[in-house]
Amino acid sequence: MKSKSELTDFYYKALYPILQDLEKDRKILRSRIISVGTIYTIVFALLIYTVYGSIKDEDVLTWGIFLYVAIGGFIYKFMIKDYTSEFKEKIISPLIDSLEEKLTYHKDLHISEHLFVRSKLFSSPDRTSGNDLVKGEIKNTKIRFSDFHAEKRHRNSKGRDSWSTIFRGLFVVAEFNKNFIGETVVLPDTAQKTFGDLIGNWLQSKNLGRDELVKMDDPEFEKRFVVYSDDQIEARYILSNSIMKKLTTFEKRFGHPLYISFVRNHIHLAVYYNKDMFEPSIFSSLLEYKTAMEYVDTLHLATGIIEELKLNERIWSKV
Amino acid sequence: MSTPLIVLIVVALILVLMYNSLVNKKNQVENIFATIDTQLKKRYDLIPNLVASVSKYMEHEKSLLEEVTKLRADANKPNLSDEKKIKLDAQISSALGSLMIAVENYPDLKANENVMHLQRTLNEVEEQISAARRAYNQAVTDYNNAIEMIPTNFMASAMNYTRKQVFEIVEAERKNVNVKELFN
Repeated sequence: MKSKSELTDFYYKALYPILQDLEKDRKILRSRIISVGTIYTIVFALLIYTVYGSIKDEDVLTWGIFLYVAIGGFIYKFMIKDYTSEFKEKIISPLIDSLEEKLTYHKDLHISEHLFVRSKLFSSPDRTSGNDLVKGEIKNTKIRFSDFHAEKRHRNSKGRDSWSTIFRGLFVVAEFNKNFIGETVVLPDTAQKTFGDLIGNWLQSKNLGRDELVKMDDPEFEKRFVVYSDDQIEARYILSNSIMKKLTTFEKRFGHPLYISFVRNHIHLAVYYNKDMFEPSIFSSLLEYKTAMEYVDTLHLATGIIEELKLNERIWSKV
Repeated sequence: MSTPLIVLIVVALILVLMYNSLVNKKNQVENIFATIDTQLKKRYDLIPNLVASVSKYMEHEKSLLEEVTKLRADANKPNLSDEKKIKLDAQISSALGSLMIAVENYPDLKANENVMHLQRTLNEVEEQISAARRAYNQAVTDYNNAIEMIPTNFMASAMNYTRKQVFEIVEAERKNVNVKELFN
């Protein structure tokens, strides 16, 4: 697997001619979006002004803003659709190919709902979406990850639906290097952070939706995470002292809430962040170092899990 | 309902909860210790194979092999107390650690498939024992806290519950962890 600097080099050197072409397209698209946006805003403002003038109802303004954002978002997505698709095919796909031969990239697919539910990390969703699925093998260890968005439906007394987000971010599933039978779930520790050790710990032990609370013997890990498992010993077999240290480091590096579970000999890792992974930038240059690093960083963090957690090292009886 | 009756019911309820919590903690310790026993048995079963596979190569390490064999025989004796088991476990861990380090000095042995397989299995068993030990220590800590802290300590002394011993980490294992940390 390529290192981060090798990937950055590849982004700039091998992809440079394509990046330059895309940069031209991006500039044209940007000015088109600005013109369309300006005209759209003026037309909409005039329309609202006229309607409000004749009806004089405050609701017109509220509905007006809602419609303005919704239609605006739709137009924006429609305008960048082709460019996004081209960017992913010409930049992201080769970037992933160069990282590891045995990885394949599917820009329109995502992790299956079955894997999300299997992880036991979140409640079952009513609607799922996502994109940018990467799957394959790194150092003989199977891995797949994608952007994932899971939502729950709520129906009010009038029968109207509304949706709330259960999870949104990067979802990674990889083979684990030890065999295990039970289920162990590692969640961000919000109770202890909010209520302190004594009450926080008591609250955690009373979480009826989860298995038994497992108190871990690494103070730093215990401060950041809470562990539930149906097997006290197996949870500690999986979460050895070294893997706890690595997960703590990993969480610090991500800088976003991290949810991890060990189910059916696989590790499931969900990084909660409200951003799509490989979307092209429209308002900043593709040739800028910061922009390039964002793509490289995301890719490296997602695939880095194999090396960071040493999932490819089979020193145990599992072959 | 009269106030004294309510107070009496509340006090009785608290006593029952304290009693149950102490019994629960004691049983948790016993339950996890039973699992450690199973894991240790797995390790004792591996020892004769290991000794047989390496003994013809390791002429200079005869005393180490004899020690491992003797410790295994001691550990297999019936009616050992928990304290004795904990002590023997520490001694065997340390002796097996030295044996594995000695294996490193014999290139033929290191490449031997049978020894490699035994080493891998032993490694896994060691990890499982270590996990069980950590679970046991946590259960014992919870139990010891309960029998020493107010108000459960009064109930515990009435029940004749006494402190239990935790597994102490073998010195060699501590070193191993440090070495790993250096390279990670």
